[in-house]
Amino acid sequence: MADRYLEVVESVDNVATALRDVTAGETVTVAVGDKERTIEISEDVGFGHKIAIADIADGETITKYGKSIGNATEDISAGSFVHVHNVESNYGRGDLAEDNEVAAISE
Amino acid sequence: MSEFLGYERDDGSIGIRNHTVIISTAPYANDTVKRAADIVDDAIPITHPLGRCQTKPDVFQTYRTLLGYATHPNTFGAVVVAHAGEIVDGDELAEDTAATGRPSASINIHEEKGVMKALDATVDAAREMVQDASAQRRVPADMSKLTFGINCATSDTTSGLCQHKATAGAVWRLIDDHGGRGCFAETPEFFGGENELAERAVNDDVKQDILDRVDHWDKRLQATGYDVRGAQPTPDNMDGGLTTIEEKSLGALVKSGDGPIQDIIDYSEKIPDKSGMYIMDTPGHGAESVTGIGAGGAHFMVISTGQGHTLSNAVMPTIKITGNPHSAERVPEQTDVDVSEALVGDESIEWATEELWDEVADIINGKVTLSEAMGESQFAIHRIGPST
Repeated sequence: MADRYLEVVESVDNVATALRDVTAGETVTVAVGDKERTIEISEDVGFGHKIAIADIADGETITKYGKSIGNATEDISAGSFVHVHNVESNYGRGDLAEDNEVAAISE
Repeated sequence: MSEFLGYERDDGSIGIRNHTVIISTAPYANDTVKRAADIVDDAIPITHPLGRCQTKPDVFQTYRTLLGYATHPNTFGAVVVAHAGEIVDGDELAEDTAATGRPSASINIHEEKGVMKALDATVDAAREMVQDASAQRRVPADMSKLTFGINCATSDTTSGLCQHKATAGAVWRLIDDHGGRGCFAETPEFFGGENELAERAVNDDVKQDILDRVDHWDKRLQATGYDVRGAQPTPDNMDGGLTTIEEKSLGALVKSGDGPIQDIIDYSEKIPDKSGMYIMDTPGHGAESVTGIGAGGAHFMVISTGQGHTLSNAVMPTIKITGNPHSAERVPEQTDVDVSEALVGDESIEWATEELWDEVADIINGKVTLSEAMGESQFAIHRIGPST
């Protein structure tokens, strides 16, 4: 029986959102599309946060809503906590942009 | 329900409220406006730090925003208070208001020879308007007259999974079943979902405009030389589980449903009459995006929140909905509609949409929102360039 408190939006997603506090050591069954997957939780993950439901390699896309929500910045194993410490965005990266203009004037 | 009871205006619009607004044209008239609104308690003060030493794009935007509130469907009349000779002209604002058939008055502190005499004149004008407004009766009106604004506030991961779906259901009901309009905004919160969003445009011009404006925001943020994380997503977004702006955006876009986009309009531009869904190009900053959508003439707004928020608008009633059970419990006076039973309980999204629609129907017909009852509002005009 899949845990309804671990929500996977699209079947291609590699993360689930916890709708309850999840504890390290739990074994959970997650519905992924019309299939089920069993995951060993390796870290405490609080309400509203994300858990990897597959192994994700450093640099690989984190997929939610069937789309990229960023890239992994390290290897992430299934059952681990996925958040700002191991994910980077592909937008608004002024720290990475070359030839920065002076901000403020635009239109 | 295909009708509601509203206040008729000479310009053909219908209001769900009957406000008298007192507007300052520049910060130097703010105190006079606030003092007048303290005395004439039912009048709504609109104050801001802009209107002087602004370059042309900002002058137009400031003026258009203030005029949007002076001539809002929910506005009965406007008293405009200016300090001296400003680039945002009080007489012009009052005349443009009067041109819509609304009562208006223009007070100038220097012309009145001081703040106390200006206060006197402002109070006189506002008091008369408030009393005349209170004598006006609501009459039956068609729901096709209504424009439904939507916005996010302190999104978290519950937003895209629950309350945004109910919000989408309600706004598209007004559009599809009643011929009304919807308007959402917050362009930087399309990052990661902009291609799919642009595909919903009714024609290629609108599609390209959406993509261009999203790209413009990305470049604008990159030009700061910093990682935007912390500004977008915000610390409270991240506490609530949102990791990147893309995750926030893909969730945010759920509230817009999947129907066609008629057009993308400028900040504070009037939302067009043609029925359908519109986008206003605003920042994600709640106070600015809400202020902009209100200026565009949305009658009311649903703010779909994760963590709960005081974000609200004095002229355009804001209905706050959350699906996060912890938020509803933590900030009950910010939670008009709690649909967390659809997230963690046994209820469906259809139930959540009905709950929201029922509240919308009540608010349209005169029930006050929690933020109206609590006297909360913010007013912030987005600025394009520097002060000079």
